[in-house]
Amino acid sequence: MSDIILSMPFLLQGAVITLQVTVLSAVFGTIIGTIFGMGRLSKAPFLRIPSSIYIEFVRGTPLLVQIYIIYFGLPSIGIDFPPFTAAVVALSINAGAYTAEIVRAGIQSISRGQTEAARSLGMTVWQTMRYIILPQAFRNILPALGNEFIALTKESSLVSVIGIAELTRQGQYIISRTFKSFEIYGGVAIVYFAITFTLAQLVNWVEKKVTIK
Amino acid sequence: MSTIISIRNLHKRFGHLEVLKGIDLELQKGEVMVVIGPSGGGKSTMLRCINHLEKYEKGEIYFKDVLLHEKRVNMNEYRMKMGMVFQQFNLFPHRTVIDNLMLSPLKVKKMDPAEVKEKALNLLKRIGLSEKASAYPINLSGGQQQRVAISRALMMDPELMLFDEPTSALDPELVGEVLEVMKQLAREGMTMIVVTHEMGFAREVGHRMILIDDGLIVEEATPTDFFQNPKSERTKEFLRKVL
Repeated sequence: MSDIILSMPFLLQGAVITLQVTVLSAVFGTIIGTIFGMGRLSKAPFLRIPSSIYIEFVRGTPLLVQIYIIYFGLPSIGIDFPPFTAAVVALSINAGAYTAEIVRAGIQSISRGQTEAARSLGMTVWQTMRYIILPQAFRNILPALGNEFIALTKESSLVSVIGIAELTRQGQYIISRTFKSFEIYGGVAIVYFAITFTLAQLVNWVEKKVTIK
Repeated sequence: MSTIISIRNLHKRFGHLEVLKGIDLELQKGEVMVVIGPSGGGKSTMLRCINHLEKYEKGEIYFKDVLLHEKRVNMNEYRMKMGMVFQQFNLFPHRTVIDNLMLSPLKVKKMDPAEVKEKALNLLKRIGLSEKASAYPINLSGGQQQRVAISRALMMDPELMLFDEPTSALDPELVGEVLEVMKQLAREGMTMIVVTHEMGFAREVGHRMILIDDGLIVEEATPTDFFQNPKSERTKEFLRKVL
Protein backbone atom coordinates (compact mmCIF):
# COMPACT_ATOMS: atom_id res chain seq x y z
CA MET A 1 0.00 0.00 0.00
CA SER A 2 2.74 2.43 0.99
CA ASP A 3 4.45 1.73 -2.34
CA ILE A 4 1.36 2.89 -4.17
CA ILE A 5 1.17 6.05 -2.09
CA LEU A 6 4.86 6.80 -2.52
CA SER A 7 4.70 6.22 -6.24
CA MET A 8 1.59 8.36 -6.70
CA PRO A 9 3.41 11.65 -7.44
CA PHE A 10 5.29 9.91 -10.26
CA LEU A 11 2.16 8.25 -11.57
CA LEU A 12 0.36 11.58 -11.51
CA GLN A 13 3.17 13.14 -13.54
CA GLY A 14 2.56 10.37 -16.05
CA ALA A 15 -1.16 10.98 -15.87
CA VAL A 16 -0.60 14.59 -16.89
CA ILE A 17 1.26 13.41 -20.02
CA THR A 18 -1.50 10.84 -20.70
CA LEU A 19 -4.07 13.62 -20.48
CA GLN A 20 -2.06 15.89 -22.78
CA VAL A 21 -1.67 13.17 -25.41
CA THR A 22 -5.31 12.11 -25.13
CA VAL A 23 -6.86 15.57 -25.21
CA LEU A 24 -4.78 16.69 -28.20
CA SER A 25 -5.55 13.45 -30.05
CA ALA A 26 -9.26 13.73 -29.22
CA VAL A 27 -9.37 17.27 -30.61
CA PHE A 28 -7.45 16.43 -33.80
CA GLY A 29 -9.25 13.10 -34.11
CA THR A 30 -12.63 14.86 -33.96
CA ILE A 31 -11.58 17.36 -36.62
CA ILE A 32 -10.19 14.60 -38.87
CA GLY A 33 -13.23 12.43 -38.19
CA THR A 34 -15.68 15.20 -39.08
CA ILE A 35 -13.89 15.91 -42.37
CA PHE A 36 -13.61 12.25 -43.39
CA GLY A 37 -17.06 11.34 -42.09
CA MET A 38 -18.51 13.98 -44.41
CA GLY A 39 -16.09 12.86 -47.13
CA ARG A 40 -17.38 9.32 -46.97
CA LEU A 41 -20.92 10.59 -47.60
CA SER A 42 -19.90 12.87 -50.45
CA LYS A 43 -21.31 12.32 -53.92
CA ALA A 44 -17.90 13.20 -55.37
CA PRO A 45 -15.74 10.07 -55.86
CA PHE A 46 -12.49 12.01 -55.35
CA LEU A 47 -13.64 12.77 -51.79
CA ARG A 48 -15.51 9.57 -51.05
CA ILE A 49 -12.95 6.99 -52.17
CA PRO A 50 -9.90 8.38 -50.30
CA SER A 51 -12.07 8.79 -47.19
CA SER A 52 -13.18 5.16 -47.35
CA ILE A 53 -9.63 3.92 -47.91
CA TYR A 54 -8.32 5.90 -44.93
CA ILE A 55 -11.10 4.72 -42.62
CA GLU A 56 -10.92 1.06 -43.62
CA PHE A 57 -7.11 0.90 -43.55
CA VAL A 58 -6.77 2.48 -40.13
CA ARG A 59 -9.59 0.41 -38.63
CA GLY A 60 -8.13 -2.75 -40.14
CA THR A 61 -4.59 -2.43 -38.76
CA PRO A 62 -3.32 -2.52 -35.15
CA LEU A 63 -2.69 0.80 -33.42
CA LEU A 64 0.66 -0.51 -32.21
CA VAL A 65 1.78 -1.07 -35.82
CA GLN A 66 0.53 2.42 -36.74
CA ILE A 67 2.62 3.92 -33.94
CA TYR A 68 5.68 1.97 -35.17
CA ILE A 69 5.13 3.15 -38.74
CA ILE A 70 4.90 6.79 -37.71
CA TYR A 71 7.76 6.81 -35.22
CA PHE A 72 10.18 4.24 -36.69
CA GLY A 73 9.03 4.05 -40.31
CA LEU A 74 8.53 7.62 -41.43
CA PRO A 75 12.10 8.82 -40.66
CA SER A 76 13.36 6.54 -43.45
CA ILE A 77 11.39 8.67 -45.92
CA GLY A 78 12.56 11.88 -44.31
CA ILE A 79 9.70 12.61 -41.88
CA ASP A 80 11.20 12.59 -38.41
CA PHE A 81 8.77 13.42 -35.59
CA PRO A 82 9.90 13.84 -31.97
CA PRO A 83 8.29 11.14 -29.75
CA PHE A 84 5.49 13.31 -28.33
CA THR A 85 4.46 14.58 -31.76
CA ALA A 86 4.62 11.07 -33.22
CA ALA A 87 2.37 9.84 -30.40
CA VAL A 88 -0.22 12.55 -31.00
CA VAL A 89 -0.10 12.06 -34.79
CA ALA A 90 -0.57 8.29 -34.51
CA LEU A 91 -3.42 8.52 -32.00
CA SER A 92 -5.13 11.34 -33.93
CA ILE A 93 -5.04 9.39 -37.18
CA ASN A 94 -6.36 6.33 -35.38
CA ALA A 95 -9.11 8.16 -33.48
CA GLY A 96 -9.99 10.09 -36.66
CA ALA A 97 -10.94 6.90 -38.48
CA TYR A 98 -13.25 5.67 -35.73
CA THR A 99 -14.71 9.15 -35.22
CA ALA A 100 -15.34 9.42 -38.97
CA GLU A 101 -17.62 6.38 -38.81
CA ILE A 102 -19.43 7.83 -35.80
CA VAL A 103 -19.87 11.20 -37.55
CA ARG A 104 -21.10 9.46 -40.71
CA ALA A 105 -23.77 7.61 -38.72
CA GLY A 106 -24.67 10.87 -36.96
CA ILE A 107 -25.17 12.75 -40.22
CA GLN A 108 -27.24 9.89 -41.61
CA SER A 109 -29.45 9.95 -38.52
CA ILE A 110 -30.77 13.42 -39.46
CA SER A 111 -33.86 13.26 -41.63
CA ARG A 112 -33.73 14.36 -45.28
CA GLY A 113 -36.44 16.88 -44.50
CA GLN A 114 -33.93 18.96 -42.52
CA THR A 115 -31.65 19.28 -45.52
CA GLU A 116 -34.58 20.05 -47.79
CA ALA A 117 -35.93 22.74 -45.47
CA ALA A 118 -32.51 24.37 -45.22
CA ARG A 119 -31.92 24.26 -48.98
CA SER A 120 -35.41 25.61 -49.65
CA LEU A 121 -34.45 28.65 -47.55
CA GLY A 122 -31.54 29.34 -49.87
CA MET A 123 -28.75 27.76 -47.80
CA THR A 124 -25.80 26.24 -49.64
CA VAL A 125 -24.68 22.67 -49.00
CA TRP A 126 -22.05 23.99 -46.57
CA GLN A 127 -24.38 26.28 -44.69
CA THR A 128 -26.82 23.39 -44.35
CA MET A 129 -24.05 21.18 -42.91
CA ARG A 130 -22.77 23.84 -40.56
CA TYR A 131 -25.96 25.28 -39.16
CA ILE A 132 -28.47 22.44 -39.50
CA ILE A 133 -26.98 18.96 -39.90
CA LEU A 134 -23.76 18.92 -37.85
CA PRO A 135 -25.19 20.58 -34.70
CA GLN A 136 -27.97 17.98 -34.60
CA ALA A 137 -25.64 15.13 -35.56
CA PHE A 138 -23.21 15.97 -32.73
CA ARG A 139 -26.03 15.92 -30.19
CA ASN A 140 -27.01 12.46 -31.39
CA ILE A 141 -23.49 11.01 -31.40
CA LEU A 142 -22.37 12.43 -28.07
CA PRO A 143 -22.60 9.04 -26.24
CA ALA A 144 -20.65 7.32 -29.02
CA LEU A 145 -18.03 10.08 -29.03
CA GLY A 146 -17.72 9.70 -25.26
CA ASN A 147 -17.01 5.99 -25.72
CA GLU A 148 -14.41 6.79 -28.35
CA PHE A 149 -12.63 9.26 -26.05
CA ILE A 150 -12.61 6.73 -23.21
CA ALA A 151 -11.14 4.12 -25.56
CA LEU A 152 -8.57 6.67 -26.70
CA THR A 153 -7.51 7.36 -23.10
CA LYS A 154 -6.82 3.68 -22.58
CA GLU A 155 -5.16 3.15 -25.96
CA SER A 156 -2.80 6.05 -25.26
CA SER A 157 -0.94 3.61 -23.00
CA LEU A 158 0.50 2.09 -26.19
CA VAL A 159 2.62 5.17 -26.85
CA SER A 160 4.77 4.08 -23.91
CA VAL A 161 6.58 1.92 -26.49
CA ILE A 162 8.15 4.98 -28.08
CA GLY A 163 9.38 6.34 -24.78
CA ILE A 164 6.64 8.81 -23.86
CA ALA A 165 6.70 9.17 -20.07
CA GLU A 166 2.97 8.75 -19.77
CA LEU A 167 1.13 6.86 -17.07
CA THR A 168 1.96 3.29 -18.13
CA ARG A 169 5.59 4.12 -18.85
CA GLN A 170 5.97 5.82 -15.46
CA GLY A 171 4.54 2.71 -13.83
CA GLN A 172 7.05 0.50 -15.64
CA TYR A 173 9.86 2.81 -14.57
CA ILE A 174 8.86 2.62 -10.90
CA ILE A 175 8.54 -1.17 -11.09
CA SER A 176 12.02 -1.42 -12.54
CA ARG A 177 13.31 0.10 -9.30
CA THR A 178 10.88 -1.35 -6.72
CA PHE A 179 9.89 -4.70 -8.32
CA LYS A 180 6.35 -4.23 -6.93
CA SER A 181 4.50 -5.11 -10.14
CA PHE A 182 1.11 -5.88 -8.59
CA GLU A 183 0.90 -2.74 -6.47
CA ILE A 184 2.22 -0.32 -9.06
CA TYR A 185 0.20 -1.66 -12.02
CA GLY A 186 -2.79 -1.65 -9.66
CA GLY A 187 -2.08 2.01 -8.97
CA VAL A 188 -1.73 2.68 -12.69
CA ALA A 189 -5.10 1.04 -13.33
CA ILE A 190 -6.74 3.13 -10.59
CA VAL A 191 -5.43 6.35 -12.11
CA TYR A 192 -6.69 5.33 -15.58
CA PHE A 193 -10.04 4.51 -14.07
CA ALA A 194 -10.19 7.87 -12.31
CA ILE A 195 -9.61 9.60 -15.65
CA THR A 196 -12.11 7.56 -17.67
CA PHE A 197 -14.75 7.70 -14.94
CA THR A 198 -14.46 11.49 -14.76
CA LEU A 199 -14.64 11.65 -18.54
CA ALA A 200 -17.80 9.51 -18.58
CA GLN A 201 -19.44 11.82 -16.02
CA LEU A 202 -18.40 14.83 -18.07
CA VAL A 203 -19.99 13.35 -21.21
CA ASN A 204 -23.21 12.64 -19.26
CA TRP A 205 -23.26 16.19 -18.02
CA VAL A 206 -22.75 17.67 -21.49
CA GLU A 207 -25.41 15.32 -22.86
CA LYS A 208 -27.95 16.58 -20.30
CA LYS A 209 -26.90 20.15 -20.99
CA VAL A 210 -27.58 19.98 -24.74
CA THR A 211 -30.80 17.96 -24.58
CA ILE A 212 -33.68 20.13 -25.73
CA LYS A 213 -36.39 20.27 -23.11
CA MET B 1 -50.48 40.01 -65.21
CA SER B 2 -47.01 38.57 -65.53
CA THR B 3 -45.98 34.96 -65.65
CA ILE B 4 -43.92 33.90 -62.65
CA ILE B 5 -43.49 30.18 -63.32
CA SER B 6 -43.73 28.33 -66.59
CA ILE B 7 -43.21 24.62 -66.93
CA ARG B 8 -42.74 23.03 -70.35
CA ASN B 9 -42.89 19.32 -71.04
CA LEU B 10 -41.52 18.31 -67.62
CA HIS B 11 -40.46 14.67 -67.29
CA LYS B 12 -39.15 13.03 -64.15
CA ARG B 13 -38.39 9.42 -63.40
CA PHE B 14 -37.28 7.53 -60.31
CA GLY B 15 -35.37 4.56 -61.73
CA HIS B 16 -37.79 2.77 -64.02
CA LEU B 17 -40.83 4.58 -62.68
CA GLU B 18 -41.83 7.59 -64.75
CA VAL B 19 -43.52 9.94 -62.29
CA LEU B 20 -44.01 12.99 -64.51
CA LYS B 21 -44.81 12.37 -68.16
CA GLY B 22 -44.88 15.83 -69.66
CA ILE B 23 -46.30 18.61 -67.50
CA ASP B 24 -47.05 22.03 -69.01
CA LEU B 25 -48.09 24.81 -66.69
CA GLU B 26 -48.11 28.59 -66.39
CA LEU B 27 -48.57 30.48 -63.16
CA GLN B 28 -49.33 34.19 -63.06
CA LYS B 29 -48.24 36.58 -60.35
CA GLY B 30 -50.86 36.75 -57.61
CA GLU B 31 -52.48 33.50 -58.64
CA VAL B 32 -53.44 30.77 -56.18
CA MET B 33 -53.20 27.40 -57.88
CA VAL B 34 -54.53 24.34 -56.12
CA VAL B 35 -53.14 20.97 -57.18
CA ILE B 36 -55.07 17.84 -56.34
CA GLY B 37 -54.93 14.22 -57.37
CA PRO B 38 -54.37 10.72 -56.04
CA SER B 39 -51.25 9.80 -54.05
CA GLY B 40 -48.32 8.85 -56.22
CA GLY B 41 -49.76 10.78 -59.15
CA GLY B 42 -46.84 13.20 -59.24
CA LYS B 43 -48.21 16.38 -57.59
CA SER B 44 -45.53 16.63 -54.90
CA THR B 45 -42.81 15.68 -57.35
CA MET B 46 -43.85 18.50 -59.64
CA LEU B 47 -43.74 20.96 -56.75
CA ARG B 48 -40.30 19.71 -55.68
CA CYS B 49 -39.00 20.04 -59.24
CA ILE B 50 -40.00 23.72 -59.31
CA ASN B 51 -37.48 24.67 -56.62
CA HIS B 52 -35.08 21.93 -57.73
CA LEU B 53 -35.21 19.79 -54.62
CA GLU B 54 -35.61 17.11 -57.30
CA LYS B 55 -33.65 17.05 -60.52
CA TYR B 56 -35.51 16.22 -63.71
CA GLU B 57 -34.43 14.62 -66.94
CA LYS B 58 -36.37 16.51 -69.54
CA GLY B 59 -38.31 19.71 -69.94
CA GLU B 60 -37.91 23.28 -68.79
CA ILE B 61 -38.91 25.30 -65.77
CA TYR B 62 -38.69 29.08 -65.99
CA PHE B 63 -38.84 31.52 -63.10
CA LYS B 64 -39.98 34.66 -64.92
CA ASP B 65 -37.53 34.62 -67.87
CA VAL B 66 -34.82 32.51 -66.25
CA LEU B 67 -34.39 28.90 -67.30
CA LEU B 68 -33.59 27.39 -63.90
CA HIS B 69 -31.57 24.33 -64.84
CA GLU B 70 -28.95 26.33 -66.75
CA LYS B 71 -25.46 26.00 -65.29
CA ARG B 72 -24.95 29.74 -64.76
CA VAL B 73 -28.09 29.97 -62.61
CA ASN B 74 -27.34 29.96 -58.88
CA MET B 75 -30.27 27.89 -57.66
CA ASN B 76 -29.75 28.99 -54.03
CA GLU B 77 -30.73 32.50 -55.06
CA TYR B 78 -33.91 31.29 -56.72
CA ARG B 79 -34.90 28.98 -53.87
CA MET B 80 -35.04 32.08 -51.67
CA LYS B 81 -37.65 33.54 -53.99
CA MET B 82 -39.78 30.40 -53.62
CA GLY B 83 -40.82 29.68 -50.05
CA MET B 84 -41.60 26.04 -49.40
CA VAL B 85 -43.81 24.49 -46.74
CA PHE B 86 -43.54 20.75 -46.13
CA GLN B 87 -45.98 18.13 -44.97
CA GLN B 88 -43.72 17.27 -42.01
CA PHE B 89 -43.05 20.96 -41.11
CA ASN B 90 -39.27 20.34 -40.95
CA LEU B 91 -38.59 22.99 -38.35
CA PHE B 92 -35.02 22.92 -37.05
CA PRO B 93 -35.43 21.13 -33.69
CA HIS B 94 -32.16 22.43 -32.22
CA ARG B 95 -33.20 26.06 -32.69
CA THR B 96 -35.86 28.08 -30.93
CA VAL B 97 -38.88 29.30 -32.86
CA ILE B 98 -37.44 32.77 -33.39
CA ASP B 99 -34.06 31.31 -34.40
CA ASN B 100 -35.82 29.14 -36.96
CA LEU B 101 -37.18 32.34 -38.47
CA MET B 102 -33.98 34.34 -38.20
CA LEU B 103 -31.34 31.81 -39.28
CA SER B 104 -31.60 32.08 -43.04
CA PRO B 105 -32.05 35.88 -43.27
CA LEU B 106 -28.96 36.26 -41.05
CA LYS B 107 -26.70 33.63 -42.57
CA VAL B 108 -27.82 33.59 -46.20
CA LYS B 109 -28.98 37.15 -46.79
CA LYS B 110 -26.59 38.64 -44.19
CA MET B 111 -29.27 41.04 -43.05
CA ASP B 112 -29.02 43.32 -40.03
CA PRO B 113 -29.83 41.29 -36.84
CA ALA B 114 -32.01 43.99 -35.26
CA GLU B 115 -34.04 44.33 -38.43
CA VAL B 116 -34.41 40.55 -38.79
CA LYS B 117 -35.53 40.19 -35.21
CA GLU B 118 -38.18 42.87 -35.56
CA LYS B 119 -39.47 41.24 -38.71
CA ALA B 120 -39.56 37.80 -37.03
CA LEU B 121 -41.44 39.15 -34.02
CA ASN B 122 -43.97 40.84 -36.29
CA LEU B 123 -44.59 37.63 -38.20
CA LEU B 124 -44.98 35.66 -34.97
CA LYS B 125 -47.44 38.24 -33.73
CA ARG B 126 -49.48 37.89 -36.91
CA ILE B 127 -49.82 34.13 -36.43
CA GLY B 128 -50.53 34.60 -32.73
CA LEU B 129 -47.40 32.84 -31.46
CA SER B 130 -45.47 35.74 -29.92
CA GLU B 131 -45.26 33.98 -26.58
CA LYS B 132 -43.62 30.94 -28.22
CA ALA B 133 -40.67 32.89 -29.64
CA SER B 134 -38.12 31.27 -27.35
CA ALA B 135 -39.74 27.81 -27.23
CA TYR B 136 -38.27 24.85 -29.06
CA PRO B 137 -40.33 23.27 -31.86
CA ILE B 138 -40.80 20.04 -29.87
CA ASN B 139 -42.99 21.96 -27.41
CA LEU B 140 -45.37 23.19 -30.11
CA SER B 141 -48.45 21.45 -31.49
CA GLY B 142 -48.38 20.35 -35.12
CA GLY B 143 -50.58 23.26 -36.13
CA GLN B 144 -48.31 25.73 -34.35
CA GLN B 145 -45.24 24.16 -35.93
CA GLN B 146 -46.70 24.47 -39.40
CA ARG B 147 -47.64 28.11 -38.82
CA VAL B 148 -44.05 28.76 -37.72
CA ALA B 149 -42.80 26.94 -40.83
CA ILE B 150 -44.92 29.20 -43.03
CA SER B 151 -43.55 32.27 -41.24
CA ARG B 152 -40.00 30.96 -41.63
CA ALA B 153 -40.50 30.78 -45.39
CA LEU B 154 -42.04 34.27 -45.43
CA MET B 155 -38.96 35.71 -43.69
CA MET B 156 -37.11 35.44 -47.01
CA ASP B 157 -39.70 37.65 -48.76
CA PRO B 158 -40.52 35.02 -51.38
CA GLU B 159 -42.31 35.94 -54.59
CA LEU B 160 -44.02 32.59 -54.62
CA MET B 161 -45.01 30.04 -51.98
CA LEU B 162 -45.07 26.30 -52.56
CA PHE B 163 -47.18 24.20 -50.17
CA ASP B 164 -46.66 20.44 -50.22
CA GLU B 165 -49.69 18.92 -48.46
CA PRO B 166 -49.27 21.32 -45.53
CA THR B 167 -52.16 19.93 -43.48
CA SER B 168 -51.88 16.21 -44.23
CA ALA B 169 -49.80 15.39 -41.15
CA LEU B 170 -52.04 17.34 -38.75
CA ASP B 171 -54.71 16.19 -36.35
CA PRO B 172 -58.09 17.20 -37.82
CA GLU B 173 -58.76 19.86 -35.20
CA LEU B 174 -55.46 21.61 -36.03
CA VAL B 175 -56.04 21.85 -39.78
CA GLY B 176 -58.19 24.96 -39.54
CA GLU B 177 -55.60 27.24 -37.93
CA VAL B 178 -53.06 26.44 -40.67
CA LEU B 179 -55.58 26.92 -43.48
CA GLU B 180 -56.53 30.25 -41.93
CA VAL B 181 -52.95 31.52 -42.21
CA MET B 182 -52.80 30.30 -45.81
CA LYS B 183 -56.11 31.95 -46.71
CA GLN B 184 -54.88 35.20 -45.20
CA LEU B 185 -51.76 34.99 -47.38
CA ALA B 186 -53.85 34.29 -50.46
CA ARG B 187 -56.07 37.30 -49.77
CA GLU B 188 -52.99 39.50 -49.43
CA GLY B 189 -52.08 38.58 -52.99
CA MET B 190 -49.32 36.01 -52.44
CA THR B 191 -48.68 33.79 -55.46
CA MET B 192 -49.18 30.20 -54.32
CA ILE B 193 -49.12 26.64 -55.54
CA VAL B 194 -50.86 24.44 -53.01
CA VAL B 195 -50.84 20.65 -53.19
CA THR B 196 -53.68 19.64 -50.91
CA HIS B 197 -56.74 17.51 -50.29
CA GLU B 198 -58.61 20.42 -48.69
CA MET B 199 -61.41 21.07 -51.16
CA GLY B 200 -62.92 23.80 -49.01
CA PHE B 201 -59.69 25.79 -49.21
CA ALA B 202 -59.61 25.33 -52.99
CA ARG B 203 -63.18 26.62 -53.35
CA GLU B 204 -62.66 29.55 -51.05
CA VAL B 205 -59.37 31.08 -52.22
CA GLY B 206 -58.25 29.08 -55.28
CA HIS B 207 -58.11 30.84 -58.65
CA ARG B 208 -57.33 27.77 -60.67
CA MET B 209 -57.32 24.04 -60.01
CA ILE B 210 -55.42 21.27 -61.65
CA LEU B 211 -55.73 17.54 -61.22
CA ILE B 212 -52.58 15.50 -61.75
CA ASP B 213 -52.86 11.76 -62.22
CA ASP B 214 -50.34 9.28 -63.54
CA GLY B 215 -47.84 12.04 -64.30
CA LEU B 216 -50.11 14.22 -66.41
CA ILE B 217 -52.44 17.16 -65.90
CA VAL B 218 -55.86 15.69 -66.63
CA GLU B 219 -57.99 18.72 -65.75
CA GLU B 220 -57.35 22.41 -65.47
CA ALA B 221 -60.19 24.78 -64.61
CA THR B 222 -61.47 27.47 -62.27
CA PRO B 223 -62.70 26.00 -58.97
CA THR B 224 -66.32 26.59 -59.99
CA ASP B 225 -65.96 24.74 -63.29
CA PHE B 226 -63.76 22.13 -61.70
CA PHE B 227 -66.36 21.12 -59.15
CA GLN B 228 -69.48 21.72 -61.25
CA ASN B 229 -68.57 20.79 -64.83
CA PRO B 230 -65.44 18.65 -64.83
CA LYS B 231 -64.51 17.64 -68.37
CA SER B 232 -62.54 14.45 -67.89
CA GLU B 233 -63.94 11.17 -66.61
CA ARG B 234 -60.93 10.84 -64.34
CA THR B 235 -61.82 14.09 -62.56
CA LYS B 236 -65.45 13.05 -62.13
CA GLU B 237 -64.34 9.76 -60.62
CA PHE B 238 -61.86 11.49 -58.29
CA LEU B 239 -64.43 14.03 -57.14
CA ARG B 240 -66.97 11.28 -56.43
CA LYS B 241 -64.45 9.68 -54.09
CA VAL B 242 -63.28 12.76 -52.20
CA LEU B 243 -66.45 14.85 -51.92
